[in-house]
Amino acid sequence: MSDAPLYGEAPLHLEPRLDRRPAALLRSAAFLHTLVDALGSPLNVLLPQQIADNAEGFDAVLRRHRLTGRLYFAHKANRSSALVRRLTTTGAGLDAASLGELQHALASGFTADRIMATGPKEPEFLWLAARCGVIVNADGPGELAAAARLVRACGLAPLRVLLRLSEFESSGARMLSRRSRFGTPVKELGGLLDVLERYRDALEPVGVGYHLDTVGLDEKATALEGCLRAADELRIRGFRPFAVDVGGGFGVNYLAHAAQWERYTAELTQAVLGRRAPLSWGGYGYGLRAENGVLRGSLGLYPAHRPVAGPAYLDELLSRPAPGLGRPLGTLLLESLCELYAEPGRALVDQCGITLGRVVEVRDSGCGEPYLVRLAMNARDVSLEEHGVLLDPVPVPRDRGGEPAGGAVGVHLVGNLCLESDLITRRTVFLPALPRPGDLLAFANTAGYCMDFTATRAQQQPEARKVAVWEEGGSWRWRLDEEYWPLDETGEQQA
Amino acid sequence: MRYDSITEAIGNTPLVRIDPAVHGLRHIDLYAKLEMLNPFGSLKDRAAWNMVRPGLAGAAARGETVVELSSGNTAKALALIAGLHGLPFKSVTNRMRIPEVKDLLLLLGAEIEELPGQSECLDPTDTDDPLTRFHQELARPGSSHLHTDQYFNPLNAEAHARGTGPEIIADLDGRAPDWFITCVGTAGSSTGVASALRAHDPSVRVVGLVGQKSDFIPGIRTLDEVQEVGLFDPAVYDTIEGVGADEAVEGMVILLRRCGLLSGPTGGAAYYGAVRHLRPLDEELTERRTAVFIVCDRVESYLGYVRRIRPELLGRPPARNSVATLTEAEVRAAPSVGVEAARAWIATGQPLVVDLRGPFAYGALHIDGSVNIVDELFDELVRGGLPFSRSTPVLLACPVGEQSARYAALLTRMGHPDVRSLAGGIIAWRDAGAPLVRD
Repeated sequence: MSDAPLYGEAPLHLEPRLDRRPAALLRSAAFLHTLVDALGSPLNVLLPQQIADNAEGFDAVLRRHRLTGRLYFAHKANRSSALVRRLTTTGAGLDAASLGELQHALASGFTADRIMATGPKEPEFLWLAARCGVIVNADGPGELAAAARLVRACGLAPLRVLLRLSEFESSGARMLSRRSRFGTPVKELGGLLDVLERYRDALEPVGVGYHLDTVGLDEKATALEGCLRAADELRIRGFRPFAVDVGGGFGVNYLAHAAQWERYTAELTQAVLGRRAPLSWGGYGYGLRAENGVLRGSLGLYPAHRPVAGPAYLDELLSRPAPGLGRPLGTLLLESLCELYAEPGRALVDQCGITLGRVVEVRDSGCGEPYLVRLAMNARDVSLEEHGVLLDPVPVPRDRGGEPAGGAVGVHLVGNLCLESDLITRRTVFLPALPRPGDLLAFANTAGYCMDFTATRAQQQPEARKVAVWEEGGSWRWRLDEEYWPLDETGEQQA
Repeated sequence: MRYDSITEAIGNTPLVRIDPAVHGLRHIDLYAKLEMLNPFGSLKDRAAWNMVRPGLAGAAARGETVVELSSGNTAKALALIAGLHGLPFKSVTNRMRIPEVKDLLLLLGAEIEELPGQSECLDPTDTDDPLTRFHQELARPGSSHLHTDQYFNPLNAEAHARGTGPEIIADLDGRAPDWFITCVGTAGSSTGVASALRAHDPSVRVVGLVGQKSDFIPGIRTLDEVQEVGLFDPAVYDTIEGVGADEAVEGMVILLRRCGLLSGPTGGAAYYGAVRHLRPLDEELTERRTAVFIVCDRVESYLGYVRRIRPELLGRPPARNSVATLTEAEVRAAPSVGVEAARAWIATGQPLVVDLRGPFAYGALHIDGSVNIVDELFDELVRGGLPFSRSTPVLLACPVGEQSARYAALLTRMGHPDVRSLAGGIIAWRDAGAPLVRD
């Protein structure tokens, strides 16, 4: 290879993609500092209006394909009350994966017809789900039978159930999929239908669905077609299914620039192969390793730049021809008189929140290594690394007048736990200037899984509080998350 | 020429000069090595045959399956060679991105296994790459596979060091070219050809072409992906340059439309990359020089690929009897009939009810007595003229009444006196509680 590197040695940035609302929020430094001064670091800031916009984005895709149906927000992505309460005023529903989430949905104003209970279910969860008549997304025959016995024992109205299927079979080329703990293999559908027949008085199957943990559209296309065929099996047995549930996994595009992501991953490969300076704490390779000069392993990172994500991903899936039946999947759904259900989590809270941390210490490691920047938060408060999402924090300096010193600088962000592994970022992060104690670093777009999914009170460090913020008359207003209702001060519903 | 086996026809491909009026280089003679003329259709025939040949007898005796990680030409060549020797062939692949090749492999009797896509909810502890899993499976006791291992097998490069490279030298009257330009896939051909050419003349300059990271060009790896290839050694190349999918197709179109070469996109990328690299050098030259690039395979499998990234290259004006030619006013004026009126009309006027939905949906539930003519077939039919007698009234039905309105408008324009669209479609029919049957 020639001496000239294909890519230069300039700082490697991964600039977050920011919609109008979060971008405006991050420009409001004084407001953000006031919040953190009052409520402490770390602090999670939520933008409830954004979730309504995102739901509209998904609805637009359904309309484009002439489909009816419903989005169920996968609540597990974020525990915020503000987001859930704001969502009640849209047409969306909620996917509750635990007793607590179901209670939260009911208490936030969701009626049972707009809730789906998913995931593994403890008896109490199933009891409350059946009592209030939400749709039960059933994992298997045991759960169906348990639900039916509850309905009979309590004399409840027939319970709407949706069958979660797995291990769909493809024809032609054999498509391998990761093994899943959840759902019933499609070849055991007959057994499920036997249970439904036994409890015809107690269970009303509304449809079938899948939830695949993959970014691959081909696997999902195979599963969707499998569901259409399964729905037909239900019809043959005399049931009247009307919905196909395509699960979640629509993805988020985290980064502003494809070129930065490509350059970063290319340079990471070079670093792992020892052809450039390390890009991370201790030369961590994010799953990549070198063996005899050849790259091995696979990049364990969320594909942070995804040109087709969220509603566009759903659009792509619906536009894709079914592997067996040939016609576009959206057309097949429509023709088969099926509604579309989906459970976006991460994609529905895209751009809905940021996490703030205060800089406590900036330490020059000497010997030309990156600086260590310690924050009043830890890696579990903003679990970007845990989820493999790499993006640059946005500095929110405390206004002291004067220009920040120096230029772009490489740092490692470390947390407040007395633990070597408490690294908020394992990679070297390039900031536009060296931060100073008291400055804030804002982690953009953390509302999906990176905000409170892993937060703990380890070492009695504070858990982040949440606030909901919105724009009104040219300035920012805020409430504690638990105090937020989609009402204005006079008690009228917010516009 | 007479052969006992088609494998004897592998190699000895032509070296064809590209007309300088096409590439515009004044001092460089540019030659295309037409590997697409190998019997199985590509450059990979050489490597496939060279890798699998030593193991064939043993594999046949032990009843083994030939296995390779390939989604393209290597799989095609191996499938044919395996079939020729009575062995099964299995191709394992991350993603078959060219559906035509996938169908062809199935037609050739190959078994295809596609590895799962990346996890959406990332598990950072799971860093086993598909290759590692694949190798673990092959190494399992009792595994009965002949794995040709194209990314690591030295016999891959050897096929080109002994064949492709010396053929180029012979065809250039015993001289090595001044430049050799090649796309990097398994790195087998570039490594092998480069070693043969350099052994003959160390001053040969080798240009490796890789895909731009965001693009997909069949048969070419991106700069990151080549790092996973055992045969890839950066020292082989004097320069490594990127080529985009658009550029590959642009090069391909020049080879197709100006050079009489039925090249696929990989050959197009090599041509584009060659001319781009050579043009500034050409301007400095005073004496004659030669350059060779490889045309890897043929274009036919990539029509879908071209349709996806450069649809205008396949553009045709819309046919006369086509819904695409309807105006919105014509569609709005299309005769339609609501569910209740339609039921009455079916009972009294006995129109022919045509259901435009797919056969799967039709089979599940439809209006009693209706005929299923799926929209794409219907579209073909009406291009040729009215498919019904004018004396037969027709009720068209689709899911929501949109498509049926378009076809009702078109048939009306074509002179049918009594064609109506079911307003709101089958969905409105169902919602009104009208009967749907399953025969």
